[in-house]
Amino acid sequence: MNKTSWLTKIILVVVLMLFIGLPFLLLVLSSISFGWQWPNILPESFSFRSWEYVLTGSSDTWRAVGFSLLIAVTVTAVNILLAVPAAKSLVRNQLRAKWLFEAIIFAPIVIPPFVAVMGIHLTFLRLGLTETVLGVVLAHLSPTLPYMVRAVVISYNTLSVDWEDQARMLGAGTISRFYHVVLPHIMPGIAAGASLSILISLSQYLITFIIGSGQVVTLPILLFPFISGGDPAIASAYSLLFAGIAILTLLGMDAALKKYYQKKKTATGKA
Amino acid sequence: MWQKSKPYLLLLPAIGTIVLLFFGGLFDGLLKSFGYFPAIGETRFEAAAYTELLQSSEFWASLVLTLRIAALSSLFAGVLGAIIAISLFLLNESTKSGTSQLWHRLFQLPLTIPHLVGGYIIVLLFMQSGFLSKILATAGIIDEITDFPVLVNDPFGWGIILTYAWKEAPFISLMIYPVLARIHRSWREVARVFGAGSWDFVHEIVLPAILPAWTIATFIVFVFTFSAFEVPFLLGVTYPSVLPVYSYQLYTSGTLADRPEALALNIILAAITILLGIVVYYFSKRWNVLKGWD
Amino acid sequence: MNDLRIINIEKKYNSRLPKNDSAFTLQPIGLTIKEGEFFSLLGPSGCGKTTLLKLVAGLIRADGGEIRMDDFDLTAVPPEDRRFAMVFQKSLLFPHMTVEENVAFGLKMQKVSKKMRLDQARNMLEHVGLQGFGFRHPDELSGGQQQRVALARALVAHPRLLLMDEPFSALDPSLREDMRELLRQIQKEFRVTVLFVTHDREEAFYLSDRIGVMSEGELLQVGTAQNLRDHPDTTKVAAFLGLKNLIEGTVTNGYFSSKLEEFEIPVPHLIEEGSCFLILRPEAIQLMPEGVIPGADAMHIRGEIQQLIFNHGFYIGKLKTANHQLECSFSSQQAKNMAAGQMVDLMISLNDIHIVKK
Repeated sequence: MNKTSWLTKIILVVVLMLFIGLPFLLLVLSSISFGWQWPNILPESFSFRSWEYVLTGSSDTWRAVGFSLLIAVTVTAVNILLAVPAAKSLVRNQLRAKWLFEAIIFAPIVIPPFVAVMGIHLTFLRLGLTETVLGVVLAHLSPTLPYMVRAVVISYNTLSVDWEDQARMLGAGTISRFYHVVLPHIMPGIAAGASLSILISLSQYLITFIIGSGQVVTLPILLFPFISGGDPAIASAYSLLFAGIAILTLLGMDAALKKYYQKKKTATGKA
Repeated sequence: MWQKSKPYLLLLPAIGTIVLLFFGGLFDGLLKSFGYFPAIGETRFEAAAYTELLQSSEFWASLVLTLRIAALSSLFAGVLGAIIAISLFLLNESTKSGTSQLWHRLFQLPLTIPHLVGGYIIVLLFMQSGFLSKILATAGIIDEITDFPVLVNDPFGWGIILTYAWKEAPFISLMIYPVLARIHRSWREVARVFGAGSWDFVHEIVLPAILPAWTIATFIVFVFTFSAFEVPFLLGVTYPSVLPVYSYQLYTSGTLADRPEALALNIILAAITILLGIVVYYFSKRWNVLKGWD
Repeated sequence: MNDLRIINIEKKYNSRLPKNDSAFTLQPIGLTIKEGEFFSLLGPSGCGKTTLLKLVAGLIRADGGEIRMDDFDLTAVPPEDRRFAMVFQKSLLFPHMTVEENVAFGLKMQKVSKKMRLDQARNMLEHVGLQGFGFRHPDELSGGQQQRVALARALVAHPRLLLMDEPFSALDPSLREDMRELLRQIQKEFRVTVLFVTHDREEAFYLSDRIGVMSEGELLQVGTAQNLRDHPDTTKVAAFLGLKNLIEGTVTNGYFSSKLEEFEIPVPHLIEEGSCFLILRPEAIQLMPEGVIPGADAMHIRGEIQQLIFNHGFYIGKLKTANHQLECSFSSQQAKNMAAGQMVDLMISLNDIHIVKK
């Protein structure tokens, strides 16, 4: 047992280093390199010029971060509003043609959304939705909504109707029931769905590019020219920033969820 | 009346959104792929875009490339993902839950990293003057940059395959880990009583247990890579290009006249993914991936 | 008077779900439960007692009939506005709230100020023997404690009616008895009207002022525990109340004769002629003192003892007569002189015999 356990541990550490550590380290090294000739394993000299350029030199960065987050958050908020009632209906009611509704909602998981976006592009153009944040938000909805619905459905499935009935019997109306009983229970599902929704929205390139027509510059749009043959140091810095924002958003979501429950737990305190 | 229609009203906003934005787009694209486009005065239906597409060698080259990349990507991701999951499972059996939790999180990191960033990491590692090439040169294994094989922006698509293997392996391990977690510790003891070593345990019990879930997860990766755009766009070559990139090229580089062809390509792509999706759904239901593990 | 009146309430389930293969119907039921009464619905699972309870609660919409209280029609009033309370089989304490907040929840819904409602919650917790547990979270309590909290939560807002759906069935037997005792006390103390659903007849007998026996969506008979035991209307009721020694037969010309031609006894002329069952309550069957010849007011039974089983301070004797298997009870004293295989003479007074129509 001990021998195998040590062996697996060593294998895991090595795999982890190659798998996660090396790529990350490489990005960091590359972002602070100042000239890195082949075949040197380390850069000849270091400099923070790429970070200076990314963080302060160009106002594009923060505009792109702002656009990306604005779009991701708006998309996610709309998703929550759409998904919670839909999930409730799918879980709680015996619907006619339920399979059809599920097929419709989950179709964008299977069919690549850019197909629909290219199809609707000209219609958006005529409606004046291209080159606008609103247009991009609308385009981001269909690739993200299915995941949100799925996450909330899973949560709803574990909440027996008895809980709501119990709250009813204690005099809780529709809003109170939702706020005091349903919401605390499905919150982890909403958070999981929101994380996915934000991640997917943040990393959309093609859809944003088609509908935003280069005018709505999100992080992937800003990043692309750099990583496809631009300055490697700047490309690396942008990559790190982009990945960092994605991870930070998720961690932030996790922390917010924990805080929500802590607040719930100590709502009265030791009054 | 209200009681009866209420569930449908609750569904309406979500369904409406998808129908309008997604199926509306599909339908819009379908009409235009047949050349029906009233805005520019085209009101006839013709299958010209489809026949042209199916007769072009570009299309078939693109389809072959797409299938090859999707197959290899999902296979590599599948093997790597299974190794990660089984290692984590064995580790979990011998350590405290807190530590193994941390391991899980670390291995899931690639899931959260955007595809373009993942692609760029592969560029830095595997391009001819990349990090791996530098290491090999320092070690004296290669002498020239050109001695290192072209793995990025290569016609075979190695760069794309490597990126997906890296990005999707954690997804596979995430999908099969719950099945592994249901293998009870006591089974392992029973196995040991019968004289099974660690390898026997993995071979006789763990692998058969995860096979259905693994197959489904790998197939999901296949379907996803089949229709993904960003990574091949970054790491591929202009010709041949995978179907989504080819569609994009047709859509943007040509004139309005090329657009029906791009949209026709999209419809074919959508049809293939729907088919693949149905296959996944059918088998995941039929095998009932978690059956017998409750 | 805050009496609860259930008037011809009915409910049909035409099963659209393939899983529920049998469509279920609750026959129109009429019933009045008096203020302060403890009323139990007793029946096997699937008999519709929970459905009836939920109809009264308003959690299920009835297909016909009315629920009234104090002459107000509550049928269209949503459950949250009926000022009823309910305790379910599971305690269903909200996991993200403390015990105190859980108990205060109903008052919070009534917009009672925070200080007031927490005071009342603590007070109620004391009544169920959980003082000092207010700041804990439900997952830190045992199953029995959780059900006590659920009871406190239901009572704190002084409901007009307390509905209980097999609230103790998930608990250990010993705990169940404690909870019964607690509920009995509290019900007397608060004089709350209770509609209680159970399949456990001991529980129903112990707690209830009156009991309604249900089977297959029908309310068969309503009465006090004693009443039901002594005079069950039908064999179904008798069987469900656990009555032993049912002997099939017919009544003709003022005489009951058993189907297997063993017993023939005179019966009061009030009893209708036709097929029926004779019920011999085990505790009414007496050992015949030696040398005594049974008179015309008693029925004679002779049989072989097959088994003697000790049970709660007395013995259950399994008896084989010519054509029947009977059960009777003996005191320890009597049992001392008996052994399996022995023939015994028994008798039962005709006054203790009950005849039920088939």
